[in-house]
Amino acid sequence: MKWHWSKRVLALVVVLLFVGIAGDAAFSQEKVIKIGTLFPLTGPVALAGQRCKAAVETAVEVINNSYPDIKVPLAAQEGILGGYKIVLVHADHQGKPDIGKTEAERLFDQEGVYAIIGSYNSAVTKPASLVAERRKKLFMCGCSSSAELTKRGMKYFFRMAPTDETESQEFVTFVKWLNETKGADLKTFGVIYENTEFGKHAAEEAKKAIEAAGFQYVADVAFNPGATNLNSEVQMLKGKNPDVVFGACLGADYILWVRTMKQLAWLPKVCLNYCSGYQDPIIAQQLGPDGDYFMGTTGYSPELAELMPAVAPVEEIYKTKIDPPVPFDSDSIQEAVATFVLAQAIDKAGTLDPDKVAETLYANEWESPLSLGGKVAFAPGGQNIKAMSVVTQLKDGEYRRVFPPELANSDPIFPIPSWDKR
Amino acid sequence: MRHRQSGFGLGCTIFGILAILPLIPGPLQGPFAKHVLVMVLLFASMSQAWNLLGGYCGQVSFGHSVFFGIGAYGAGMAVVKYGLTPWPGALLGAIIASIVSLVISYPCFRLKGHYFAIATFAIVEIFNRLFMVWYWVGGALGLDYPIIEEGWRNFMWYETKTPYYYGAFALFVLVFSTARWIERHRIGYYMRAVRDGQEAAESLGVNSPQVKLTAMAISAFLAALCGAFFVQYNLRVDPPMVMSLDMSMRFVLITILGGLGTLWGPLLGAAVLIPLQEYTRAIWGGLGGGVDLIIFGLLIIVIVIRQPRGLMGFVSWVVGHRARARGRG
Repeated sequence: MKWHWSKRVLALVVVLLFVGIAGDAAFSQEKVIKIGTLFPLTGPVALAGQRCKAAVETAVEVINNSYPDIKVPLAAQEGILGGYKIVLVHADHQGKPDIGKTEAERLFDQEGVYAIIGSYNSAVTKPASLVAERRKKLFMCGCSSSAELTKRGMKYFFRMAPTDETESQEFVTFVKWLNETKGADLKTFGVIYENTEFGKHAAEEAKKAIEAAGFQYVADVAFNPGATNLNSEVQMLKGKNPDVVFGACLGADYILWVRTMKQLAWLPKVCLNYCSGYQDPIIAQQLGPDGDYFMGTTGYSPELAELMPAVAPVEEIYKTKIDPPVPFDSDSIQEAVATFVLAQAIDKAGTLDPDKVAETLYANEWESPLSLGGKVAFAPGGQNIKAMSVVTQLKDGEYRRVFPPELANSDPIFPIPSWDKR
Repeated sequence: MRHRQSGFGLGCTIFGILAILPLIPGPLQGPFAKHVLVMVLLFASMSQAWNLLGGYCGQVSFGHSVFFGIGAYGAGMAVVKYGLTPWPGALLGAIIASIVSLVISYPCFRLKGHYFAIATFAIVEIFNRLFMVWYWVGGALGLDYPIIEEGWRNFMWYETKTPYYYGAFALFVLVFSTARWIERHRIGYYMRAVRDGQEAAESLGVNSPQVKLTAMAISAFLAALCGAFFVQYNLRVDPPMVMSLDMSMRFVLITILGGLGTLWGPLLGAAVLIPLQEYTRAIWGGLGGGVDLIIFGLLIIVIVIRQPRGLMGFVSWVVGHRARARGRG
């Protein structure tokens, strides 16, 4: 009997389906804690999602095995809670909130995961964490930055990274410091942002912080993510000519924005970026010298390694899990922190009861050598109040620390040299 | 007459089976299986709403996500902005979607064939951008539902899927019954006449602009009701979730795969595509790299190559084959 090719394809699918189910059944016999990860593994920010997933895998490898030379909590022992190993179940939300919610439900109800770590996009984290909250299950959020997430009064939601609210305040503090100590005389501000949950929220927080500090907010420029042309947006900025611009432009949009400013021969005196394309070392490499002198907040970059010596050996494991091998970035390292902190809390609580683990998370201050501040502690609502970032400035492809002064290794260069004087 | 009664019997049988499906013990009792069933009924209803215009009337629209989105925002605004139940918002959203569809399609129906389809592409982009910067409806931040009381009054449940299933079933019965009524009614014959040859239909006295506008208004109304259900199910709405070409393509793809211009084609299309989409993502999505999407795409290609007339074509072939076999016997 000769099979038609379409029947062969269908047979292959059926076989793969059974392989998937059989693989799942194998876990059920061991002493394991299943943890779900929920990241955008496909779609417009797939690269960031893949890095976040690799960061969680790295943390789990350190937790499950004995690494006495790595100076992070739980590294020296094997597993947690008297021999429990963590097993990850990965899910892809494609950057879509409805799929994020469905996948969170599936992870809890079908896969039986104990907690979820995710989910990069704030717009997805919102509905997905609501699913966890209703089920009284833990949701550990590494890097979603919308301040709104930790203002919902949730009991089972914990976020590691600084928010766009704290970043906005840090930017304004930095500008005041420039005015007071360097005589910068910066008065007018503008914001350029992608018109999404992330960008819009960042712009709202920026406006609040700028106006609260008594500065003038003169330009509010939104653009659609994935734009092929930002000429009119940059023309608007150029027309208002603010002294300082805050940027919330992800990935390729950041490259386009910087190149359009070069094309239109305009620059603000100071340019500060939220956690966005600025922090991506690959993008910095692609921009080359054009990316120099821009600034932004950074929770981690290889240049900060001297402040965080425990990161290096963990980063070596991380590099084996991502192709091409790249160091941690500000976002992905927060997902590793979320995994370590959850494991520490389970271990300390001595139980898998989510209520007890949540209480333990709130009641303690956690050692976190992968965090810039070295500690993690949570306020009601789940925000990590020890979250810290430094203001860096890109120069010759390196992120130089410029603020706060006690962590700085370089003086900020401002105003940004004009394009024809570089 | 016998044909009409047998069609009625088939419809009642399908409705009956769907009504008792969640009560049957077994694999369909799991929450994920119920989610898949809810999605099948919702997407079958959405696609049937599109089929009224695109299948029966021959006007291929890629703009139906706009009407779907208006319905979603109707319910969302009622709950999030005004603290009401979603019901008045859903109804108002459906009425507004109908009016918007008439305003949009009146000039667009002067365009024929591909030009009409291209115009509807543009409409999706316009509405998407408009809602992204319209802060009264939440703009890019969208509308997030607060945690409020569960139940039929608020049409909202957090953990159980069974009431959502019956909500989707009610919507399905409404949309498919409307489609069946139209199919057998004078307007249905006019719609098919316009699809098969507008000039010929007009020469026989069919007022084709009126027929097309009627089909559009009914189609938009039903699509908006589906949108209202969608937002109540996801408890969040933002423009990319509902008003996107991606969403519009789902309306079209399911109908074409199931069988364009047929009553049960959208159900068949949804019953095959949605479980494929959901289960391939559940099993392979975590691998990353879009393996699930590749497999999903491959399976669609296999189905389309095997049966270009859609799954209803396959059903007709099976029924015809059996009839021929009986004839020989």
